[in-house]
Amino acid sequence: MADDKGSKPLLTGYMLSTQLMEIDGCNRCQECMKWCPTFAVRPDRPGITPMYKNAKWRELMAKNYSLRAKIFGGKPLNEDEMKLFTEDVYYCTTCGVCGTVCEAGIKTVELWEAMRPNLVDRGNGPYGKQSFFPKLVKADRNPYQAKQEDRLCWVPKDAKVNESGDIVYFAGCTAAYRQQALGVATVRILNKLNVEFAMLGKDEWCCASAMVRTGQREVMAEHAVHNVDALKDAGAKNVLFACAGCLRNAAIDWPLWYEGYIPYETMPLSVFLREKIRKGEVEYKIPLNYTVTYHDPCHNGRHLMHLKGEDWAFEASRDCLQSIPGVKFKDMIRNRALQRCCGAGGGVKAGIPDLALDMAKARVLDGEEIKADVIASTCPFCRRNIMDGRNDAKSSIKVLDVVELMAASMGLDTTIPENPYTKFQEQDVLVCGPTTCEVETVERKAPGKDLVGEAH
Amino acid sequence: MAFYTLGLTFNLVIFLTVIVLAVWIYGIYFNFKKWGLGSTGYHDQLRNSFWLFIATWIHEAFKDGIWVFLRTAILDVLLLRRTLARSPVRWVMHMCMFYGFLTLAALSGLGLMIDIVEHFNILGLAEPAEVAKEVLSLPFDLFGYLLLIGATIAISRRILLKFVRDNTTAYDAFLIGSVFLITITGFYAEWLRGNAFLVGNAFGDAVYAPHFALIHTILALGLFCLVLPWSKYIHVIATPMTLLANRGGE
Repeated sequence: MADDKGSKPLLTGYMLSTQLMEIDGCNRCQECMKWCPTFAVRPDRPGITPMYKNAKWRELMAKNYSLRAKIFGGKPLNEDEMKLFTEDVYYCTTCGVCGTVCEAGIKTVELWEAMRPNLVDRGNGPYGKQSFFPKLVKADRNPYQAKQEDRLCWVPKDAKVNESGDIVYFAGCTAAYRQQALGVATVRILNKLNVEFAMLGKDEWCCASAMVRTGQREVMAEHAVHNVDALKDAGAKNVLFACAGCLRNAAIDWPLWYEGYIPYETMPLSVFLREKIRKGEVEYKIPLNYTVTYHDPCHNGRHLMHLKGEDWAFEASRDCLQSIPGVKFKDMIRNRALQRCCGAGGGVKAGIPDLALDMAKARVLDGEEIKADVIASTCPFCRRNIMDGRNDAKSSIKVLDVVELMAASMGLDTTIPENPYTKFQEQDVLVCGPTTCEVETVERKAPGKDLVGEAH
Repeated sequence: MAFYTLGLTFNLVIFLTVIVLAVWIYGIYFNFKKWGLGSTGYHDQLRNSFWLFIATWIHEAFKDGIWVFLRTAILDVLLLRRTLARSPVRWVMHMCMFYGFLTLAALSGLGLMIDIVEHFNILGLAEPAEVAKEVLSLPFDLFGYLLLIGATIAISRRILLKFVRDNTTAYDAFLIGSVFLITITGFYAEWLRGNAFLVGNAFGDAVYAPHFALIHTILALGLFCLVLPWSKYIHVIATPMTLLANRGGE
């Protein structure tokens, strides 16, 4: 039993006053419980659901801020109870489906992300390996302990990438060091379409999404300001993202930390490519005869749908997939705003890997239910986690990025040049001949062994 | 018919009502101040202020302009659009309870004013006040039935649906039960008076009617006006304010 004497009260500093009101606005309708993907795989823990978290927060706050506390004095918080509550708050991928279905209109993602830094400041959070994020990112400017100088080591020699220009491709740490097939496919497609674009190279720092999601905000300011300044210096007017986590952070979080005018637009790569498809500039050569489904990443979908619109958030990637010859597209039962989270977000992959794995398996089952051959996505973290779930469930389903499917069908050479991070490449890949493509499944080491791919 | 019984006088009831209202108003102030423990912006420092909570709420609610505010007020607050999108049954339940409860509360307030006018014969309006009270009895009945339908659905859901039942706490049960109890006592009080809507004189009892009316009044005042700001029922205020502050939510 923990000693509760001298226990600090619950901190509220990171919550907006309207967020404290939102907690009281919960009318306990239980709708969130029906949709919560973590509760779906941990039905014995109702405490992790939004309704119970709100109730617990209210109860803990009441110990020091209720009328009883005002009259008779506050009560110390029980540290065992705080430990359990912290666990409940971190057993959440911040996927936001609870906010989408909330009758009271509570913005839950923002709420959980505001609760967490209060727990961190109080000494309760973060959870498990999440505490490594700030140290790693501060030391190396990426979570993979990789060299910044190697940011573009995967770019093929014959590819054309500028140092500045109107269009900038922000690759993100995972495409740079762990899922280079995605980076190569992106660069190849842009080159093929004669798009003049730039990349930041060593000036591209981690988007710091993992820090914000897990309530460790101290590194965020430096990274947000640096990246925005670097993009401005490169002359960016349109920044393309093939990573949903980076996109979410660049579109929503960086502006909160940047004092000054931001002159560029942030755009999912799929939206940019869809425009090219509509203009008839994309020429496919090889049909991909697969039943493909699309997993909406939370960061690119629910988190962005109100900022960028549902068309950008949900339809662009589907349109890209459906443009590929041979592809038989089929949606999973839970899709778009009501999609089931893959389990990687909110620091869960690093902090609670077994939970992330069970959620990924649930998503793989969703894909199997509609007899999909391929689950495609636009988020390297979803992809990583769904692959882990697939491997654990021993499913035959393949997991790929939309951009890679497009590049394969366009007949582009997506060979990754040999580089210091080749040994870390563990993704399903499309191997194409002149007329057909096959997907090669790559087994992976035990999930959760590495912080790789777990940063969001 | 005599309404005041068991030693209660008109003045005493007015006095109790004022006390209850004062506690209720203080409860709302207390909650606003508690919400003021949060900050006013993403990086802002804590101010711990009642007024800054109000300012923050106004800032958030009107962020997208007056039309968005009005649209949210109509579609989300008054028509409960988000609830309808999720569950038509729950929407019917909420609409019945929301409008039943709010209208009965408003009618009760109006009834009290009329009582005061009648009691003190203000401007010599005692007689018209008596007539006005009679006129009010029909809307009282109609909105009472509305609340009864809502409360019955709420109780039935909690009893009949396994998932809902499993996640119902004693706290939920007490508060929903109290709404149901108040509604039922309200009806019974009305029926005992005789000549009630739908049931006529079937339950009329001149002796017990005042006692039962008193029980209903005390339960309503005690449970709602005292409990509302200090329990989950604060959502009656916090939920519409949340919907407005978040411009309809996600």
